[in-house]
Amino acid sequence: MKKYVTRRVFMGLLTIFVVFTINFIIIRLAPGDPISTIMGKDNDDPILRTALEEKYGFDKPMITQYAIYLKNALTGDLGISIIYNKEVMAMITERIVPTLLLVLTAAILAVIIGTLMGMYAAKNEGSKIDVIFSGAAYIFNSMPAFWLGLILIIIFSSVLGLLPSYGMINTRDAHTGFDYILDVIVHMVLPVCTLVLVEIPIYFRIAKSSILQVTNEDFIVTLRATGMSERKIFNKYILRNAILPTITIFGISLAYLITGVALIETVFAWPGTGSLMLTAINQRDYPTLMGIYLIMSISVAVVMVLVDIVYATFDPRIRF
Amino acid sequence: MNQLLEIKDFSVTYVNKSKKVYAVKNVNLKINKGDSLGIVGESGSGKSTLAMALLRLLPEKNTQITGKANFIGKDLVQLNQKELKNIRWNELAVVFQKSMNALSPVHRIGPQIEDIYRVHKPNASKEEIFSRITYLLRLVNLSERVYTLYPHELSGGMLQRVSIAISLVHNPKLLIMDEATTALDVVTQGQILDEIVKMEQTLDVTRIMITHDISVVAASCNKIAVMYAGEFMEIGYVKDVLKNPKHPYTRGLLSSFPSLKGEKLKLTGISGYLPNLSVKQEGCIFAPRCQQATEKCKQEKPLGVEMNENTVWCHLYSSGGELINEDQKPVYKD
Ligand SMILES: Nc1ncnc2c1ncn2[C@@H]1O[C@H](COP(=O)(O)OP(=O)(O)OP(=O)(O)O)[C@@H](O)[C@H]1O
Ligand code: SF4
Ligand SMILES: [Mg+2]
Repeated sequence: MKKYVTRRVFMGLLTIFVVFTINFIIIRLAPGDPISTIMGKDNDDPILRTALEEKYGFDKPMITQYAIYLKNALTGDLGISIIYNKEVMAMITERIVPTLLLVLTAAILAVIIGTLMGMYAAKNEGSKIDVIFSGAAYIFNSMPAFWLGLILIIIFSSVLGLLPSYGMINTRDAHTGFDYILDVIVHMVLPVCTLVLVEIPIYFRIAKSSILQVTNEDFIVTLRATGMSERKIFNKYILRNAILPTITIFGISLAYLITGVALIETVFAWPGTGSLMLTAINQRDYPTLMGIYLIMSISVAVVMVLVDIVYATFDPRIRF
Repeated sequence: MNQLLEIKDFSVTYVNKSKKVYAVKNVNLKINKGDSLGIVGESGSGKSTLAMALLRLLPEKNTQITGKANFIGKDLVQLNQKELKNIRWNELAVVFQKSMNALSPVHRIGPQIEDIYRVHKPNASKEEIFSRITYLLRLVNLSERVYTLYPHELSGGMLQRVSIAISLVHNPKLLIMDEATTALDVVTQGQILDEIVKMEQTLDVTRIMITHDISVVAASCNKIAVMYAGEFMEIGYVKDVLKNPKHPYTRGLLSSFPSLKGEKLKLTGISGYLPNLSVKQEGCIFAPRCQQATEKCKQEKPLGVEMNENTVWCHLYSSGGELINEDQKPVYKD
């Protein structure tokens, strides 16, 4: 087990490094030029251009830029944003917390609710509730998340006026202490619901099909033949075996959420890394963009390693 | 009373959406206490189906079971879930054909057996359970080490032995072994068969042994039932049937195996295939493949003919049990 964990962590670090390098190259190769963005469309002053290029290090050869960037990144210095003129690291740290808050809350709620629904549907396969669950899963799964978010805003904010539709706190009426937490929770309801609703079908389906499949395994027949009660068979043997795919899917889908949540953050004006990333893309803000990608790839790698370790503790066949 | 299991007019039909498969048809069988019955027959003849139906382990949704199966005074076909639960493993245990997958892959072997032990002895102490399980593991030639291992850490043969050990946990009165020794090498198989036979005598276990391997039957059973396409062709004492098979199918089946004593024999086998089990066939089920078939065979189902405690379902034998036509001596004795 120790060896397995070490190897997984090492693989994770390697992944981050590779992603880091590829990012560097791709961003430099992409069309568009940040200096032109800063200078403005019609300005073509060669002196200003040289000065700016020098300031941001674009005058040096690519390989030197890479070496400098790598060295700085290792010390936590991701450079200075071309657009905001702020430390990239500071900007990201400020914004990663809201993103993680949103993503983790949604992922955990979705895996719990979806799996419970899947368990229920598998136990009562073919029942009315199973049919309703499966139908709903189908519908929500085919809905684009941002569109669902807009619909929720229309219903719960615009029409019913129940919930705030943007931001993380009420800026006009700042709270402290417990009220602050409550305020954040209220603001989280709609974006979290959006993410949960589109994520539930994934967990629902995987739990249901996995339980049904395990139920037909030979060892379940053995246990039945011994006279063991269906309840014990389900709670101890079926669940423990059926949960494995859910763990894998949780990892994949959490990683996907970390990177894919940008659109939802934009819809709800959520102050996370997502909206920062979209601005950075539009403005060719290389340092910011690379910083965000780096942080995201680190988050994804950490999630994957953790999930793999959790999986290994659940499935003895993995450890070697 | 000496009789442990009596199957009467027992039929099992798989009902799928589009068709029915008559996997076991009106079979009759008696097993006495202390017997060991080998059921042989080619693949697909319904041996496992018969066993699974007796254990009531086939999904009720798509199987029909009719007839009677009297097991120590109770009809297995009619038992409700609670009665079934009491009988299972206490009195009627099984070693499944696919013992590779007979255990949960994510639980250690020992604790799984503990759970099975507790099904019928919920208050057993840890030491009692442990000593029972290690005793059984030793019985099947496995070390105690297996207790803490996971199923994937064992070989196929070791898993089969674990399955055999598990089946004995509660000293069942009737033990059904479905291809339980196929994954074992000849030496281990021999050892385990010996152990099983010995244990049966001390523990009073009756056994049904389903197998393709007639040498297993010869080594460990006193009776044999030959099954073909869901019906019994011949049932009798091993010593009689193997030495002097009456039914043309039994003869064919025996001649498909090399001689038990190592004599050189021509392997004639049986040409053709199992009939389609989703249509009910008139007459003898074996007629399409039988070289001795007559018009009568194609129209009338043969009734069981009893000949000194053995039964044959074939028109070749008159009610007295004499071979009607002397030309039709067993083909394999050339
Ligand atoms: N669930 C099912 N639905 C329909 N037909 C089935 C089903 N299970 C088995 N059968 C059919 O029933 C017949 C008997 O199968 P069974 O498994 O009892 O054979 P068997 O004698 O045990 O064969 P083997 O020696 O290969 O284990 C086969 O023709 C098979 O195709
Ligand atoms: S009854 Fe006829 S067809 Fe059937 S086995 Fe006997 S001889 Fe052959
Ligand atoms: Mg079988």
